[in-house]
Amino acid sequence: MNIRNFCIIAHIDHGKSTLADRLLQRTGAISERDMREQVLDGMDLERERGITIKASAVSVHYELEGQKYLLNFIDTPGHVDFHYEVSRALTACEGAILVVDATQGVEAQTVANAYMAIDANLEIIPVVNKVDLPSARPEEVALEIEHVLGINANECIFCSAKTGQGIDELLAAICKRLPGPKGDESAKTQALIFDSEYDDYRGVIVYFRLFNGRLKVGDKVRTMGTGRTYSITEMGKFMPKMVLQKEPFEAGEVGYMVAAIKTLDDVHIGDTLTLDLYPADAALEGYREPQRMVFCDFYPVGDTQFDALRDAIERLHLNDASFTFAPQNSDALGFGFRCGFLGLLHMDIVQERLERESNVQLVQTAPTVTYEILLHSADGTDRVVQITNPADLPDVAAVREIREPIVKVEIITPNDCIGDLMKLCEARRGIYKSQRYLSETRQILDYELPLAEIIYDFYDKLKSFTRGYGTMDYALLGFRADRLVKLDILVNGDRVDALSVIVHRDKAEYRGRALLKRLKEKIDRHLFEIPLQAAIGGKVIARETISAMRKNVTAKCYGGDVSRKRKLLEKQKEGKKRMKRVGTVDIPQEAFMAVLEPGE
Amino acid sequence: MHIPFCFHKCHYCDFYSLPDSPTGINGPAAGSDRQSAFVDRLLKEIRFQAQRYTLRPRTVFFGGGTPTLLEAELWKKILETMRQMGLLDDVAEFTVEANPETLHENLLTVLVQGGVNRISIGAQSFNVTHLKTLERWHEPASVTRAVTLARKAGIANINLDLIFAIPGQTPDDVRDDLSQALHLQPDHISCYGLTYEPNTALTQRQRAGQIQPVDEEIERRMYGLVRQILAQTGYEHYEISNWARPGRQCLHNLVYWENDSWLGFGPSAASHVQGRRWKNVPHLGAYISSVASAPVADEEELDVNRHVGEVLMLRLRLRAGAERSWLNALLRDDHARWDKVRDLERLGMLAWRDDHLQLTEEGLYVADAVISQLL
Repeated sequence: MNIRNFCIIAHIDHGKSTLADRLLQRTGAISERDMREQVLDGMDLERERGITIKASAVSVHYELEGQKYLLNFIDTPGHVDFHYEVSRALTACEGAILVVDATQGVEAQTVANAYMAIDANLEIIPVVNKVDLPSARPEEVALEIEHVLGINANECIFCSAKTGQGIDELLAAICKRLPGPKGDESAKTQALIFDSEYDDYRGVIVYFRLFNGRLKVGDKVRTMGTGRTYSITEMGKFMPKMVLQKEPFEAGEVGYMVAAIKTLDDVHIGDTLTLDLYPADAALEGYREPQRMVFCDFYPVGDTQFDALRDAIERLHLNDASFTFAPQNSDALGFGFRCGFLGLLHMDIVQERLERESNVQLVQTAPTVTYEILLHSADGTDRVVQITNPADLPDVAAVREIREPIVKVEIITPNDCIGDLMKLCEARRGIYKSQRYLSETRQILDYELPLAEIIYDFYDKLKSFTRGYGTMDYALLGFRADRLVKLDILVNGDRVDALSVIVHRDKAEYRGRALLKRLKEKIDRHLFEIPLQAAIGGKVIARETISAMRKNVTAKCYGGDVSRKRKLLEKQKEGKKRMKRVGTVDIPQEAFMAVLEPGE
Repeated sequence: MHIPFCFHKCHYCDFYSLPDSPTGINGPAAGSDRQSAFVDRLLKEIRFQAQRYTLRPRTVFFGGGTPTLLEAELWKKILETMRQMGLLDDVAEFTVEANPETLHENLLTVLVQGGVNRISIGAQSFNVTHLKTLERWHEPASVTRAVTLARKAGIANINLDLIFAIPGQTPDDVRDDLSQALHLQPDHISCYGLTYEPNTALTQRQRAGQIQPVDEEIERRMYGLVRQILAQTGYEHYEISNWARPGRQCLHNLVYWENDSWLGFGPSAASHVQGRRWKNVPHLGAYISSVASAPVADEEELDVNRHVGEVLMLRLRLRAGAERSWLNALLRDDHARWDKVRDLERLGMLAWRDDHLQLTEEGLYVADAVISQLL
């Protein structure tokens, strides 16, 4: 059997999932009748947002020129937040199909993903997709690919996942151009865990790629990183439905296994499985911890209790181990959870899934990044602590330095937007690195930017400045010290720790004023006047006042009005339940997000 | 009793009514078949309910719609039937709402002979411009005429309805309206801040930007002005929007605020009997064609917690507020509500006076926000 393990990588919306669907259909893995759009995207949420969250591995049979092939392909996420998931998928493959939209051309994540594939030594088949569209410019795009990635334009396959054009050619290329797996069946067993999923009935389903040796149902396996052992109770492939496989898996194969594993935390993505009795000498390379870039708190509100929120988070964590959570106690908001995410989109998805799947009501605080704090102790020694919450910043007297994460940002943009984007980057404390031509009309702009400056609206701004054409990708460079201060917000005299934010000193007054203005808009008038203050240390640098409610009275309430009026007043009361009460002030969810909204 | 006929729908009104031509003093009127069909059904409903409940009302109120649009002959029929059934034996107060244009001598005689002793006249304003904004189709002078006629016919208890915060109105205009109203020496004045009810023409015009609601600071001043002037002229402020000369509080409306029981008749009429509330379907055709009990639209019986909230909502509308012993009984172990009461006291929205818990002056302006916290 000829095996081809490959993945599909692309910038978001370049048609990766549609292409995967088309490949499944052409190889007969699913019938026309079963064909649903984007079969690989299981969750409603993914479908709604048009993005793929989890990587899925699917195996199909294909015959070419009398030869039988088993094609194992892995659908990968295309969004900037899911770098790590892409990297796991790449490790399990020998080849990659690089999909580029024939109209849009090379985009920021095309470049980022292609470099990751090149770094992983994968053979790349460039595909120019959506060539059926009138706006398509496949030859130019092929040249862009050659220019930016150094892949010969002649190697590009022009296709349309929508019409099926070029699909046969692509399948042929997969069989002929991609190398088969090189593994040693007689060597000691080494299988890479490249993904996992939680199933209510079977527990954790582990996706693996067998590099060396064999694996079969009944084998006792050991995770080499964590040293746990499990007995395999079920093995199979997704074709694309789960199909059991009785005969042993051999080196080079991709599949899933079930082994009474209770939580996703028990299997670390990137870890190596080996046989407990005949363990391999070393684990496979390429594993690293996923990096949580963005943090925020979730607090229960309304009818939701802390325990219900904890259950909901734990349940969701069974399905998505890539976010972290830890109990958090806020003076203002009470008991909740501090959570870490791969990026902002990931954070939004987790929040939405919590509310949708577990029916909890929660307040989310504004996202922040990790800071490194250099502390000078009384005994004269220095040490560094990490905080993920501005409220945790130690006493200013002991702080020698606050360091923030810096990212390398690569922006691809039409030429005429360069000026606006450079202004945007400068305003966000960016350091210009380079500017390169991608084609006659587009450029690649490189900047170093503090992560904190791009986590909220930078991407939206980029999109609006470039009329939607600009794209970006970012990667962490490291931590760098700057003149950073903690800005505290006082509502009615009470410091609201969940509203604290770390900002650059030069921007503190401006940010403080802008923040108070937005808070004033978000917080309803109460029966009393509410002073709002922004302060650094004990010093107030900005203030606003929410005046007391002036008029709110029903003029008529007679016999026929009683029920309706009562319901109206109950609604008025219910509205407050969704809010968080700090002292005597009801603060709505949006107010906690107001911290990072654009102040311009 | 809900009489669902009007000759024109005023733009702020959200009560159920249908257009009907005005009746002459003597002459036969258009729509009289429908009126008489309605009255027949109304009397049937009364007889039907009289079998279910012991009907010994202490107050009777005819509202609408425009009760004075009913032909005098039909009024006679209603009043005579009620008398024969003994429904009027214990009645201390019998009010009929009147549109100033439709209150005529002949009708007044019929009403007074039938036991009516109180007339409530929808004056709203004495300013032609503001009446037009409200789409009230009457001349200011007709209010004076109606009051005079009513007194002459022997009605000793007269209420005038006024509205303030009409778009375009100034505090001086309000002062002027009050002075004209006071000139007529009514026994009772209901003075309402204009409310933009959903599904009214007024609200549509506001949403379309055709009219601009009065600024809330000015509305506050207007309400303050109303309270001040009426207090100075001997009217007791006894409910958020109601003032009366000593002994002239509206007994019927007190039934609502003190959460007593009452029965309503006619389409859209509401009833409350010991915690159970319901409303007749607001549809004249469905009402007339029904047999036995009238079709009911909403019916509810609240759980204890909601019930307590509702009772408080009603009681705190009264300036006298809630007596301590009464409140103690209502909120026996309700620590959460007592905590709220104390919070609202601290904020100066509620206060104890004469052993009664009341809205303070400031609390009056934001009564909904205060009361909603106690629901």
